[in-house]
Amino acid sequence: MPATVNAAKCKSCGALSYPMHFLCPKCGAREFEPEPIEGEGELLTHTRAYALALDYEQRYLTLGIVQMDSGIRVTGQLAIDEPRMGMRVRATVGTVRVTGGSEISGLIFVPA
Amino acid sequence: MRDVAIVGAASTPFGRSQWSLLKLMAEASHAAMTQARLGDRRIDAVCVANMGSARNNRQAGLASALVDRLNLFPAAAETVENGPASGASAVKVGFQAVASGMSDLVLVCGGERMREVNNLEATEFVSYLSHRYAEYPYGVTLPALAGMFARLFMAKHGVTAEHLAMVAMKNHANALLNPNAHIKMELSLEGILHSPHALMNNPFVADPLRFFDCCPVSDGAAAVLLAPAEMTSDLTDRPVRIAGIGQATDTQAVHERPDPTELTAVRIASQRAFEMAGLEPKDISLAELHDAFTILEIAQSEEVGFFKRGKGHIALAKGETQIGGRLPINTSGGLKAKGHPVGATGVSQIAELVFQLRGEAGKRQVKDPRHGFALNFGGFGNSVVATILSRGF
Ligand SMILES: [Zn+2]
Repeated sequence: MPATVNAAKCKSCGALSYPMHFLCPKCGAREFEPEPIEGEGELLTHTRAYALALDYEQRYLTLGIVQMDSGIRVTGQLAIDEPRMGMRVRATVGTVRVTGGSEISGLIFVPA
Repeated sequence: MRDVAIVGAASTPFGRSQWSLLKLMAEASHAAMTQARLGDRRIDAVCVANMGSARNNRQAGLASALVDRLNLFPAAAETVENGPASGASAVKVGFQAVASGMSDLVLVCGGERMREVNNLEATEFVSYLSHRYAEYPYGVTLPALAGMFARLFMAKHGVTAEHLAMVAMKNHANALLNPNAHIKMELSLEGILHSPHALMNNPFVADPLRFFDCCPVSDGAAAVLLAPAEMTSDLTDRPVRIAGIGQATDTQAVHERPDPTELTAVRIASQRAFEMAGLEPKDISLAELHDAFTILEIAQSEEVGFFKRGKGHIALAKGETQIGGRLPINTSGGLKAKGHPVGATGVSQIAELVFQLRGEAGKRQVKDPRHGFALNFGGFGNSVVATILSRGF
């Protein structure tokens, strides 16, 4: 099964939240079901970051915040050469960090 | 609640220090304590601000270690870790102890020794402030969050790279007047933005932010000594009063904020501090803002209420925030040029206000200040403490 990144869907009121909080930010209930983050959205802002933390060999990382059509917002990496604010992007899931030999999956956005 | 005064304030030089973390903190603390006529009085409690000594300096339980170093036994000791807002948080904890009547003399000392680890480790350590699952695994660092914030904010309000450079130039110029500042270097628009070598002198760190938009990694310590109002006249001839403190928290993941260009916790913390002090932004004579990145000084100057939304960069360009302007901001040089030893920063901002309100700020002295404002900003705005100090009682 391919890796997914999930938002939390409140079982009481249906509100989506990401990241998950202990209680639903809308109604305070604490039962959630996972809702895969997929599909398209709009790139709100982005940066090419050069001063990287541990675990990264590359010269820079391109990062962005995306407003998903589903209503939630997410932070992710961008596999986009020339990102522009407002452009349409599509969520994919891939390896975003390798820590001590283990691969961490996360959201990587590509042009829609 | 009792009124609380600051009866001593001091800072070590900031920068790359040969001193150990405890030596830095002992020097700042001792300097602050010896300003007060303590006589036989004992320090009741020591409150320390620090973010990473257990990780970076192999020292946990920092506050009790400082009591030991200074022979302040059996003073109560505790360390406050609240990210980059630890400093003002620790002052607030000390304020509460004195105001409640539980303690009389409380020493607050913030310290950090960041240069004990290399730059990569320091960047990694500071990135732990981001959301553990929704930001950190992506390689999100504080400069990256600031870069994304800057791009949105600049597009929304017409702020340009020149405006950001003006913040850096102003704060570097102020730091040249502060003997304790980390960076002693005059900047010019030509050198950092317009010359053919600008990209080499001033490379991108997290675009649109460049090297000179970011604060340095510093070692240093700062301390203040707190006492109840009724004791003040015995201890000092130049008391400074803690008039108001406000604090607020925002979402940890920046993307969850309804408008990611708004620093809601800054606005709420500031409102609460003004309310407690019975003052308004127009009453403030000078401010120390948390310019870890140049864009933050502009954005915070609006959220605090000094300027209308979208007008902070215009006031800056007019020179209103220079020493001698209507509202001098970051007379100390700010985090940008005075330096940013994380746990020390909030205490050092408050110490700068004390120096100014006592008329001891030397060449950077603001004329006859009455009320000073400090904003200490943790994470990327998820934990904020605003402090207002007033001259005398
Ligand atoms: Zn709900």
